[in-house]
Amino acid sequence: MRLLLVEDDTMIGEGARKGLRQDGFVVDWVKDGQAAELALRTETYDMLLLDLGLPKRDGIDVLKALRARGDMLPVLIITARDAVADRVKGLDSGADDYVVKPFDLDELSARIRALLRRRSGRAESVIEHLGLKLDPASHLASFNGEPLALSSREFGILMVLLDHPGAILSRAQLEERLYGMDEAVESNAIEVHIHSLRKKIGHEFIRTVRGIGYMVPKRQ
Amino acid sequence: MKPIAIKSIRGLLLVGLLGGLLTAGVAATAITYWRTRSETNELFDYQLRQMALSLRNQRLAQPDFGIARDDDDFIVQIWQPDGVRIYLSHPGVVLPDQVKLGYDTVTFNDESWRVFSIQTPASTVQVAQPMRIRRELAQGVALRVLTPFLWLLPVLAALIWITIGAGLRPLKGLAQSLEKRTPLTLQPFSEMNLPAEVMPMVRSLNGLLQRLADALSTQRQFVADAAHELRTPITAVQLQIQLLERAKSEKERDATLRELKAGMKRCAHLVEQLLSLARSEPDARQQGFAPLQLAETVKASIAHLTPLAQARRIDLGLNQADDVAVNGDAAALRVLCENLIDNAVRYAPEGGRVDVEVVRQDDVAQLTVTDNGPGIPVEERERIFDRFYRLPDSSTQGSGLGLAIVKNIADQHGAAIVFEESPYATGLKAVVRFPILRT
Repeated sequence: MRLLLVEDDTMIGEGARKGLRQDGFVVDWVKDGQAAELALRTETYDMLLLDLGLPKRDGIDVLKALRARGDMLPVLIITARDAVADRVKGLDSGADDYVVKPFDLDELSARIRALLRRRSGRAESVIEHLGLKLDPASHLASFNGEPLALSSREFGILMVLLDHPGAILSRAQLEERLYGMDEAVESNAIEVHIHSLRKKIGHEFIRTVRGIGYMVPKRQ
Repeated sequence: MKPIAIKSIRGLLLVGLLGGLLTAGVAATAITYWRTRSETNELFDYQLRQMALSLRNQRLAQPDFGIARDDDDFIVQIWQPDGVRIYLSHPGVVLPDQVKLGYDTVTFNDESWRVFSIQTPASTVQVAQPMRIRRELAQGVALRVLTPFLWLLPVLAALIWITIGAGLRPLKGLAQSLEKRTPLTLQPFSEMNLPAEVMPMVRSLNGLLQRLADALSTQRQFVADAAHELRTPITAVQLQIQLLERAKSEKERDATLRELKAGMKRCAHLVEQLLSLARSEPDARQQGFAPLQLAETVKASIAHLTPLAQARRIDLGLNQADDVAVNGDAAALRVLCENLIDNAVRYAPEGGRVDVEVVRQDDVAQLTVTDNGPGIPVEERERIFDRFYRLPDSSTQGSGLGLAIVKNIADQHGAAIVFEESPYATGLKAVVRFPILRT
């Protein structure tokens, strides 16, 4: 899951990025509103973590512009402004959730997962599909009851594919969802990971659609 | 002359007005008395003369029936030319024989008598009246003037008391309204329908209430802003602590611990700046001002900041240190210097340069801090003194309070602070001008 973190304070940004990466998220971090809008237009994210008091362009303005162009990206506001009026304004401007500073890292991750779950239309946090069980909170996986040892990239690929079973994702699309702005991706990285996954869960689970990409079949 | 304290306006007015009334009454009485005396004198003198004139040709027999003498009676004596008394109206009261002709006042038997004598070829007629009569008459008239005044006094006293009470009621009303006011209700009092004498006081009061409300509002805002600003460094520390808990290796723990220490230092710095700011506020308790050497304070500040400058390889130095004295608070001026130099050192690039100068110019002591950092754009120079304001492009971990503190302390010392162009390609030149202490 790829997140865009917009936070102008260096220490907070560094700490949050480090913590979220430890929890298995891919995190891009920008420090002002303009950089945020640029990143939103050029990259694909699963969620936006937005601080409000930003230089160059206020967080609320970024949010409003995002919603104005019909973007349904889940947005979680992280801010020090905790007055009721501020919360109402944030939520009414299009945010999905509101977290006040100082915040707990574990709670932040949990809220992110909750929002992602909601967006996927899932009720349960554990993802179950055709014998595969993925728990995003604990990063544990099992297949047909047998526990699986997955790297975070492999876990990530499965999460992305299981987001929309039946949808085909190209290699480029998978790369976008799994690698941050500042990470270098080797051209065959995805293939290597898919190959490794197939060794663990069999060749039937992840299907290759020639010329297009990869997919996980829908439930029968 | 020490002003006498007035214990009660009403009492003062009462005493004053009644005193005035009494004085007027006494004066009226006295004048009436003297005028009446004067008039009765004239009248009775006329009567004496007329009586004497009417008797001068009469042959009177000595009365032989006794009529009790009325004390107010005229006494008549008639003598023959040879001095023999031929008539005495009141036997028993014999006035002196030797008389002046015309009007005279004589004392006889401890009494004062007004006497008129007239001489004809046939006789000498003397008519006398006790002066007492005239005195008593005048006194009677005068008293009849005084008496109403005396009756009026208590009536007027009551009237004055009530009227003044009514007149002073707006003050009582004002006192009651003031009693109900709290720090939350500092709205001005209505200036409509107020007596002219109370208006200036209410107007001044409203001015004070406004200043008080503004001061309280500023304080509240400051506390709210401070609490809000503290959230950022505390959030960072919270995150760093959680990362420390999650650290899996010694190396990771060490690295995270270092971050945590830096985060804690930032919290401490912000708290220090908040305290400095609160202390530098105009309405904070004033420390004593004393003469001091500006250059000495500057040197101490530079010494304090040298480690920080060295850590960033910045060339921090004192270019000029004129011998100049100012009147001020040494601790506050230390804070001012340190904040200016700290700003310069933080914003100058690594290996950059910060110059400090203390220069005497006419009757001004000029402190200058110059750096070759990014400087402050002209359009930001107004807002830069606002609390918690940081330049939009800055990513430094400053508190945003440094210049607010500097401005407060400068104001406290009657000094002006301006920004000028740095002699370097980029950078800031902060200039503070203090009035020189005249010895």
